This record gives sequence, structure tokens and C-alpha cells, in this order.
Amino acid sequence: MERESRALRTVDLLGVTWRSFFIQASWSYDRMQSLGFAFAFAPVLRRLYPDRSERAERLVRHMDYFNTQPYLASFILGAAARVEEERARSGDTAADPGELKRTLMAPLGALGDSFFWGSLKPFSAVIAVIMLLAGTWWSPILFLAVYNLAHVGLRAHMVFAGYATRGDVVALLARYNFPGLARLFKVLSLVLAGTIAGTVSAWAPPFHPPVPVNGAVLTAATIALVLVMSHLLRVGGSPVKLMLGLAAICLALAMGGLG
Amino acid sequence: MTQVLAAALLGGLVGLDRTALGQFMVSQPLVAGPLMGWVLGDPLTGLLIGGVLELVWVLDMPIGTFVPADSTVAAVSATAIAVIGSGGTMRMPAVGFSLLLTTVMAPVTMFADHLMRQRNARLPEFAAATTGVTEGRIAAAHLAGLVAFFLKSFVLCLILVPAGIVALTWFLKLPAVAHRAMRLFVTLLPLLGVAVAARKLSVRTLDRYLVIGCAVGAAGVLILSAPVPVAAAVAAVAGWLGGRVHGT
Repeated sequence: MERESRALRTVDLLGVTWRSFFIQASWSYDRMQSLGFAFAFAPVLRRLYPDRSERAERLVRHMDYFNTQPYLASFILGAAARVEEERARSGDTAADPGELKRTLMAPLGALGDSFFWGSLKPFSAVIAVIMLLAGTWWSPILFLAVYNLAHVGLRAHMVFAGYATRGDVVALLARYNFPGLARLFKVLSLVLAGTIAGTVSAWAPPFHPPVPVNGAVLTAATIALVLVMSHLLRVGGSPVKLMLGLAAICLALAMGGLG
Repeated sequence: MTQVLAAALLGGLVGLDRTALGQFMVSQPLVAGPLMGWVLGDPLTGLLIGGVLELVWVLDMPIGTFVPADSTVAAVSATAIAVIGSGGTMRMPAVGFSLLLTTVMAPVTMFADHLMRQRNARLPEFAAATTGVTEGRIAAAHLAGLVAFFLKSFVLCLILVPAGIVALTWFLKLPAVAHRAMRLFVTLLPLLGVAVAARKLSVRTLDRYLVIGCAVGAAGVLILSAPVPVAAAVAAVAGWLGGRVHGT
């Protein structure tokens, strides 16, 4: 095959997209997603390097240390595919996507962690938990739908976006505004978390606390308990320790005739 | 024994979603719990367990080398212990005790995860063995990681579930006061979830958005007798407007 005619096809990028869902299958402390990147990138190298030894050499290059947020790794995979394609077509062996990968993985890691783990996930969870406490049995389906509508939609698009923009993060941010959306979801998550505590008197059975007090007293006590627990977490408590403490308090209340 | 094996198998499969495969959030307690319950014929118990655990662990983020507590194993094991161990009776006390039991085992699940990720470091060496790197070797080495992740959750469930059932049998023989305590414990756990979420989403204990949510939610259900989802929707709009005013 002539070098100039080496070009990626849509099917190659679709192959990368499919394999990107496995990028963390061999996650380890020292190389993190390195093997996963090489695995996901294989369809690109298969197309661009018909010669086995050249392809093997490129595979080794793509087994370098790599770690980023797994969903946004797709953007880097697409960008690296574009640079690798240019390298294969020009024959310029000095050109290498390694530098691009190293440049993009930290900022996209921070961006993705903040958006997907730190805001979209709690936002979806808080909505679903509210619906569950209101007595909706299909809240797990709601949780999966809210989260994956954004997750799968973005992830399917990221490889192609990375390829089209050659890894232009500014263009990515202009299109999606991840920091702004993260702030919005965090605000809404906090408000809805507060709503969970404020609506305790209307929780559906079996979640309604079995204590013989009226709604206003129960709500006030609940909000106070949340604030105390939040403060304890702030001064060094852990969820496990607080859970044990809560169990001990419940035992004391039950022994005192409450509950 | 068949039920324990089914629980361990499901734990292993759903556990893949945590890190190794897809991350569609099927491994979150809110989904994994009812899924386990459904397999064992009692989805409501799983829904209870998943629902109260969800917010406690949702913001434990896998950033860098930090490996969070395995909330999937906790939810799946707790559901299996509660369903199999209680035989469908005394649901709430059994749920409370199972939750407590599996949560205190969180450090064990983190240690197992840590060990497995250390062992995964050998996989790139396998891919680059003396015969040279090939696409096939990379795929084999990489996908071997899936087996390791599956086995970690499978073995943890296989140990935790039978041990938990024995402990639950013992617990159910305790006086009624212990059962009442566990029933109360389950109903208060969502509040711990709220506290954990508030702690991780804001640097302030009295965060204004949390307060808006509490106030609007309480006013909605206590004064206006609004359904919880309606109160939540109004609170969300109020919070959004508040955020716009303060430029957040």
C-alpha cells in the first residue's frame, strides 16, 4: 500500500469506540490504562501499518504510561488516531502522538473526574433516591437513564470529536462547557440532597422513620441530625464510623422506647 | 448453596462495571442491590439496601491511584445475606444488620482491590514477552484483567455471603429491641447519605443550597402537603434561581 493512500475509515473509529469501553480492563497502579490504550488503538494501527513489524513497533509505543478519566480517554484516542494517520501518510517518523497524549491526559482527567464522577453521578443518584423515598420502584431505571443519556451519548461522540479537532480541547469546551455544567449539577445535587432531609415526614413506607413524633418535630430533628453528621465528617469522621455510631444511637433509642 | 453461588456470580459480573468494563453504573448500589434481589426473588429488599447505600458511597471517586470502598460488593452481599438469611421474614431488621455487616467489611474489599491492581501490573510484561508484541498478545493480556476483576468480586461475595448468613441467623435470635434498633437504623441511613453528599459537594456545613433544599422541601410537604417529587422540583428551581442570582 502506498503511504499517501493510508487513511482511516469510519469503521476503524467505530472499532476504537467499541474497544474504549474496555479501556480499564487491566488497570494497574504503575501503568494504569497503558495496556487499555494500546488495546483500544489497535484498529487504527491495523489499518495504517500493513507491515507487521512496523505495527508491532507502534503498538509498543502506545503501551507507554497513560491515565485519564475513562470516558474522556475516547477524545484522546480520536486525537491520537488523527496524528498517527498523518504520521503514517507522510512517513515522518519524528511525528508521534505520544506528546499529544501526555499533554491531554491530565487536564481531561481533571475535567472528566469533576464532571462525570463529581457532579453528573451524584445528580443522577440524588434524583433517583428522592423518587425511591417517594415510593417509586423504578428509580434505578431512572438513575441509569439520566446518567447514561449523557455518558453513552458523549462517549460515542468523543472518538470522532477528538479525530475531527485533532485534540483541540478549547473546541471541546466551547461545545460542551463541562465546568459550567458541573457547577450546575453540583448546585442541584446539594438542593435535592437538602430536599431529602426536608421531606422526611412524607417518605413512603418502609423508609418513613418509625418514631412517634409529629411531622414538624421529625423534620427539625432530621435536619439537625444531617448537619451534625455533616460536621462530624468535616472534622475527620468517616462514613463507616458514622454508620457504626448511628447504629449505636438507634440501639439506645430503641432501648429507650423510641423506634 | 445454589443461591450463594448465584449471588457470587452476579457480584462478579456486576462488579466488572465498577472499573473494568463500560462503567454504565450498573454496579452502583441503587442498581446492583435490586438486581441481586430480583435474581433471588425479592427485589424490594435489594431496592431498600441499594437506596439507602447509594448516597453514602456515590461521591467516593476513583481518582488517580485511590481505590474507593467496594459499594457493589457491599450492596450485592447485603442483599443476598438479607434475602437468603431471613427467608423473607423480618425484612427490615435483616436489612439493617446486613448493611452494617457488609459496611464494616469495606476495608477488606478495598484491600482485595488493591492486591488485584498490583497483580495487574504484570500484564504489560506478559504482552511484551520474548516472542514480541502482537495485537493478539495485547488483547489476551488486557482482557485477562477482566477475569481478575471478576474473580475479585466473585470470591469476596463467596466468602462474605455465607459468613453473613451465619451472623444474621445469630442476630435474628436476639431480643426484639435489637431488631427495632436495626429497623430505625435503616430509615435513618438515607440521612447519613445526605450528610456525606453535602460534605463532599460543599466546603460549608451550612451550605446555602442545602439549606434552600431543606427549607423548600419541608415547607412543601408540611405546609402545602405537596408530594415529595413536586417539593423536590420546586426546590431545584429555587436553587437554580438562587445560583443565577449569586452567579454560581
